[in-house]
Amino acid sequence: MTVEVSSLKELVEQASGDDRSPDTQEYFVNMGPQHPSTHGVLRLVLKLDGERVLRCIPVLGYIHRSIEKISEHMNYMNCVHLTDRMDYLSSIMNNWAVSKAVEEAAGIEVNSRIQTIRTIFAELERIQSHQLWWGVLGMDLGAFTPFLYGIRDREVLNDVMEETVGARLTMNYVLPGGLMADIHPNFVHRVKEFIKYFRPKLDEYDDLLTNNVIIQERLRNVGILSAQTAVQYGATGPVLRGSGVAFDLRKDHPYGVYDQADFEVPVGTIGDSWDRYWVRVEEMRQSLNIVEQLLDNIPPGDFLVKKLNSKIKIPEGRYYSQLETARGVLGVFIASDKKDEPYRLHYRSPNFNNLWCLEPMIKGDYIASLIGAMSSLDLVIPDIDR
Amino acid sequence: MATTTPDPTETDCPPMDFGDLKSECVAPRPSIMGQKRSLRSILWLSFKGILRGLLTTLSYFRRPSTVVTQQYPENRETLEMFERYRGRLSLIHNEEGEHGCTACQICERLCPNASIIITKDKKNEATGKPALDQFIWRQDTCTFCNICVLVCPFDTLEMTGDFESSVYDRRLLVFNLNEYAGPTAGQLDKLEDEELAKAQMKPMKKYQGPVPMCGGEMDGIPKLDVEKSTDV
Repeated sequence: MTVEVSSLKELVEQASGDDRSPDTQEYFVNMGPQHPSTHGVLRLVLKLDGERVLRCIPVLGYIHRSIEKISEHMNYMNCVHLTDRMDYLSSIMNNWAVSKAVEEAAGIEVNSRIQTIRTIFAELERIQSHQLWWGVLGMDLGAFTPFLYGIRDREVLNDVMEETVGARLTMNYVLPGGLMADIHPNFVHRVKEFIKYFRPKLDEYDDLLTNNVIIQERLRNVGILSAQTAVQYGATGPVLRGSGVAFDLRKDHPYGVYDQADFEVPVGTIGDSWDRYWVRVEEMRQSLNIVEQLLDNIPPGDFLVKKLNSKIKIPEGRYYSQLETARGVLGVFIASDKKDEPYRLHYRSPNFNNLWCLEPMIKGDYIASLIGAMSSLDLVIPDIDR
Repeated sequence: MATTTPDPTETDCPPMDFGDLKSECVAPRPSIMGQKRSLRSILWLSFKGILRGLLTTLSYFRRPSTVVTQQYPENRETLEMFERYRGRLSLIHNEEGEHGCTACQICERLCPNASIIITKDKKNEATGKPALDQFIWRQDTCTFCNICVLVCPFDTLEMTGDFESSVYDRRLLVFNLNEYAGPTAGQLDKLEDEELAKAQMKPMKKYQGPVPMCGGEMDGIPKLDVEKSTDV
């Protein structure tokens, strides 16, 4: 059996063809699927002229696990645990997205205690996701030390969450209609300790990377994504906000208890890698603010609205719900046929749309800039393929 | 992506209106090289930025107490996991070695990836009620989602803090959780004859019955008696 990727072949023939002249030729290079800078099994077919990138074609499908199809044979409670494996750095937000969609469709009202705990966890998860991204960005640009600093602080936060949840990465903490367990008695105290610990560390982050001229020069004016292109490509999250569009679901369509918290949405100016870098670092500060405000006012109540219900039935119809994960808007589409399992479940994952911004960002730039630009997109590959 | 597809960045698109979306928190531009400065000023500012980073790292030599590295295999004795940590699944046995599983199979039905297989004795001779025969847990497919623990109506399952589960053969990841096949602790207590109760507790080994290791021979693992086929 032969498999032909005809379009790529055409591109190669078109590029070189019968050209035997001594001038520079356009040529193709595979970046990935096993490249350390792609953070996963993402393959980029690069059309190069010397060191200039003329085209950058992402090829997907190396880590497709058919999460959406498997979900069609599962009840809604079980669907949740698969979403941990999509964007594993914002697993609680993924859990929440499905739970929110199911709750809205089935008409389950959750109390404010559940909403507050969910919001706090989502923000903590956002911080740890950005901590890892910050370390990895340094490593991609050739600085190994920041990675250790980012991981060190993430470890402290991971321990805080592990005490309540019991898992470190694939958390599966939020269920349709509540939470898997109540917060640990130590939780509030330990989060306060973490906030006290992490605020000065953010200034250390600035010393290590933000004020470093090498990092600034490698990020500034590299990978410029205009606001118009970002909106056209459906980019969301820090990528869109880095381009200067102040769109954040937490502000624009508040869910959870975000409307009770006072925080700012950081935006960039021209949409280069530096803007996206700064937006994420600032988001960590804002997330700390949100957690600090909500932590003292966790209302009393149950952590599960009623008895654990594995057979939630959703009325016939189509439902869509979305929320803001660490990387952008995660939408959940449910088509239901009155059964306790979805007829079709679709995820609109933020990384998929953000990925395609890579080509307009990097066209005509050096291949070395591609690494920094891609790192500033903060892609998680399993979320692209699902 | 065919070659004929027009490049989306080059298509005509009217300028977009983003409405009144505004934020007060706008990213500053790094300005060392951006503005008109003398070469000496640029070099000094660049040097200062790099030096600050270096001093940050160097300062940790002076504060060894802030080093967080744990020497994992060496600290095994003192290492404590959180009580809610989701490690190996275990069937809770009381001091007398009796479990509380009635073989109701709710965990088996709700397990998202069929990691739990329960076989049962439909009617126990002594109690006249269904009794557990084998509680097979497939650690190799388990995602540690905690749903079995959550749905168990008798609270007889728990996730322990045991996380060191590497083995050289994946067949060793499928095993029985119950130490004996027979009725629950409560049902055994109701039996007045202690001898009869003892007789109901048929000992069950870790690898026994229709689990993949049964009958297999491996170094250090004794051959097990087989009754049924090995396919689970």
